[in-house]
Amino acid sequence: MSQTNPAAPAMHASLFEGNARKVRFLSDEEIAITVENLDLFYGESQALKQITMEIPAKRVTAFIGPSGCGKSTLLRCFNRMNDLVDACRIEGAINLHGENIYRRGTDVAELRRRVGMVFQKPNPFPKTIYENVAYGLRLQGVKNKRVLDEVVERSIKAVGLWDEVKDRLQSNAFGLSGGQQQRLVIARAIAIEPEVILLDEPTSALDPISTAKIEELIEELKETYTILIVTHNMQQAARVSDYTAYMYLGELIEYADTMHLFTNPSQKATEDYITGRYG
Amino acid sequence: MREWWKSGSPWIWLNGGAVTISMVMVFGLIALILVRGFGAFWPHPVFETTYELPGTEPVVVVGELRRSETLTGAAMRDAGVPIPEDQLIVTRHLVKLGNRDVTGRDFAYFIDDFMDEWRYPKNMAVLERREWGDFYGIPLRLLERGTTVAVGDELWDEFQGRVRRVNDLWDEIRGIERGAIGRINFQLERVRLDERRAQLRGTLTDEMRAEFEQRRQALQEQYRELEQRLNQLYEQLGRDSIVMRAADGSEVTLRVADVVKAWQPNNMSVPAKVWFYVQDFFDFIFGYPREANTEGGIFPAIFGTVVMVLVMSIIVTPFGILAAIYLREYAKQGPLLKTVRISVYNLAGVPSIVFGVFGLGFFVYFMGGAIDRTFYPEALPSPTFGTPGLFWASLTLALLTLPVVIVSTEEGLARIPSTIREGSLALGATKGETLWKVVVPLATPAMMTGLILAIARAAGEVAPLMLVGVVKLAPTLPIDGNFPFIHLERKIMHLGFHIYDVGFQSPHAEAAEQLVYATALILVLLILVLNLSAITIRNHLREKYRAESD
Amino acid sequence: MENKRIGGHYSHRYDAELEEVVNRVLAMGGLVEAQLTNALRAFIDADSQIAQEVTENDTRVNTFEVTIDERCVEILARRQPAAMDLRLIVAVIKTITDLERIGDLATAIARMAMRQAEGDRPRKQIFRDIETMGNRVISMLAGALDAFARMDATAAVDVVRQDFAIDSDHEAIVRQNVTYMMEDPRNISRLLDISHAVRALERVGDHARNMCEYTIYFVKGRDVRHIDLSEMEAIVHDKKTPPEG
Repeated sequence: MSQTNPAAPAMHASLFEGNARKVRFLSDEEIAITVENLDLFYGESQALKQITMEIPAKRVTAFIGPSGCGKSTLLRCFNRMNDLVDACRIEGAINLHGENIYRRGTDVAELRRRVGMVFQKPNPFPKTIYENVAYGLRLQGVKNKRVLDEVVERSIKAVGLWDEVKDRLQSNAFGLSGGQQQRLVIARAIAIEPEVILLDEPTSALDPISTAKIEELIEELKETYTILIVTHNMQQAARVSDYTAYMYLGELIEYADTMHLFTNPSQKATEDYITGRYG
Repeated sequence: MREWWKSGSPWIWLNGGAVTISMVMVFGLIALILVRGFGAFWPHPVFETTYELPGTEPVVVVGELRRSETLTGAAMRDAGVPIPEDQLIVTRHLVKLGNRDVTGRDFAYFIDDFMDEWRYPKNMAVLERREWGDFYGIPLRLLERGTTVAVGDELWDEFQGRVRRVNDLWDEIRGIERGAIGRINFQLERVRLDERRAQLRGTLTDEMRAEFEQRRQALQEQYRELEQRLNQLYEQLGRDSIVMRAADGSEVTLRVADVVKAWQPNNMSVPAKVWFYVQDFFDFIFGYPREANTEGGIFPAIFGTVVMVLVMSIIVTPFGILAAIYLREYAKQGPLLKTVRISVYNLAGVPSIVFGVFGLGFFVYFMGGAIDRTFYPEALPSPTFGTPGLFWASLTLALLTLPVVIVSTEEGLARIPSTIREGSLALGATKGETLWKVVVPLATPAMMTGLILAIARAAGEVAPLMLVGVVKLAPTLPIDGNFPFIHLERKIMHLGFHIYDVGFQSPHAEAAEQLVYATALILVLLILVLNLSAITIRNHLREKYRAESD
Repeated sequence: MENKRIGGHYSHRYDAELEEVVNRVLAMGGLVEAQLTNALRAFIDADSQIAQEVTENDTRVNTFEVTIDERCVEILARRQPAAMDLRLIVAVIKTITDLERIGDLATAIARMAMRQAEGDRPRKQIFRDIETMGNRVISMLAGALDAFARMDATAAVDVVRQDFAIDSDHEAIVRQNVTYMMEDPRNISRLLDISHAVRALERVGDHARNMCEYTIYFVKGRDVRHIDLSEMEAIVHDKKTPPEG
């Protein structure tokens, strides 16, 4: 049963060793991102209220919550995608390895190279499979064919797509299935070796098999990358994430170890949401 | 009835009816143009008969039937034709008589009742001449320097051979006149302009003056040589002549040099007629107009139209696309942008003649005048760009079609899902990189659609062009072998204007009727070809950028 | 109170399914409690008639266990419960295992009662002690079921506390039994049966304690097995109070 009890005697703790999940404590983790008193306004209305949290490195952190709770908005703060929205104003700080990304003079393009993003709907470019993956490198001015070939192959292999597409790298990416496209988009994101990958409901447009493949991929990717995922699917959050944040009406209600949050949440609001109750 | 009304059938019939009416109109128009246009080149048979109006001397009529019509007897009686009182219906024929120089009129109506039986003499010949239209008659003798060289059976073949010789001579003459002499004139003009320029700058020295004089002498020397050669050729042209018997029985002597081609329609087999037809069509497309555009080909008009449309496309495409990109991607959305957008859209509704007036006033006189004063002061007072010409015509049309390109490009840009842009931005691309590497390639089919609409509109436009650069007869083509090869300042001919000119400004309206249809046909085909090629390119692009969800 | 803990889902069917499972557990608990009461009566009164009924009723207990298990698996598969709902299902699955064991123990006592009925009765004193212990066990079981029914962690802790009295009762009776055996070796086999029955009662107390622990787990979300009572009380009283008190 629950293994979150810190007072469990040592002799029993030994029984759990080697079992599927280890107990995680945020205080033991290496922190990649800290969010400090983040407020976000769309014109007059406030979409995010005083968000403060620490996101561990090389872990999967999931954001759940009902529609309009601000979880996608928060995700888009991490690579400053909200800059594209007129009348969007942000206060507070997000520190990526101790550096505030909202500091004046931040190179947003450079930030987005460090913080990759994958969207809800697969969005390959109208180019070949090869060019899709090489796009980010070409933007950085990489022209060496050998380097490109190598990175493209490594990235596509990393997402487990290599065997499916190796014979048609020069054909249009639109020819792939939805699940393949989504994996290609992930390959495109990791080709430029970001530190953080943001996943905005990456499987909401996919069938269960493709979803399972993406989830499997997330498990593998967290060895190398810090992953933040927004999902409507609570079971998915429970399956793939190490930490889960529950948001409601722009506020961070609860942020805890996923195991803990899904078996014994501290907040009534969280409990109501994850058990499907009206509060 | 109520049931039927409720079933929705009336609505379907109404919609279907609207479609049917549109289809009938479109296909009727196309069919008319096709039949009349393609019919213009068929060698029609030439008949001979005797015509005797009551109370006049009988006359021999030779010609080809152009059209027959049925009228009431009363109407004809009112017109003074002696028709018996009891006859209700009269048939009359419009006959092309040719021989404009002999009879003074080449079309005439004849009442069917007063005509004798129609005969089709095998040796009746039609001679298309360089002047005075066609000649109908029976060939009698072929003369070389006044001496008879052929009569009877061998006459026709011998005559055809000599017509070919004459045509070769004409080709050579034209080659010299248009090519070599044109080049010399062009260079002489340049020498004059160089000298004038130096004079205006005050840098003209005696030394230079001598050099210019030397160049001019050399060119004039060349010119004299060519002139001699021309004189020889013209002299050779006058060698042969043919004696023909006209309808009234008189013998007419015609210079072979004046004959473009000759045929005996009553003596031709169907394959021969088809071959003749094809040749005639070919000559029409690639030939130059003669006799105030009523005869000959329309090549300069086709060429002018195509070049004008291409130059327009080259101007309007980048302008329209850049404007649309700015409006959609960079401009801050607000009342000002809304105003700009409404203005652009409304530009599409402005009557084209207004563009013509604007083009003449602003482009030709204001901008053209400024260009002349700045870059071509040596040519003044004769204007270079300060007069209607190809460039101004294209620019005016570009302005006219700009809204179309802007609107469809904007719509194309708006249709591109924001997720694609975000995908690119999320990889660290700047807005510009995203635009040029991802968004614009995806919007190319929409841009092509805009261009297609622009071409269709521009190629068919006439009214504004009359003001800004299209003339009924241009002495030169806008592209030739003289540097800088494309002469944007030259006046051009245009198919649409050609139709207007030939059909309504020509002295021989009836003779030109078929030509009008043929020209319209060519214009329609040309627009079709331009559109089809653009559509092919667009479909290719669409296929290339096809999204799975489309 | 219990409806507040189970109900409130957007899906009313889900509410009804959970409610049904809980009601079945309570029905099963009632049956098991009756079984135990009857078995004890049969044993003390040496009533083979009642004992017979108890052994026959055991299949009903087993059927309860199987059907409740099925329902729980179905809910797990179809609803994928989380948090409180997940803990409830886990607690139920475990509770019914313990209840079924209690049922088995009641049957065992009933069998021994049948054997008791055949021979001479040993001394009355020992039966009085057994009756006292048995009533304690029955009240503990009733308390455990009540705590589960009310989903009351505090009550559950109180029930757990009763287990110590039962353990000492058991120890006392066993010691007394050993004395009797030494006095009269002919009674050994009969006394061994009594010993076994007392042992069974003690086991029932352990199972009731387990059930209380599951109730605490369900309500508090904390695993309170294998820890001492003071820690358990600390968890129940200090760390967090249930929303509805």
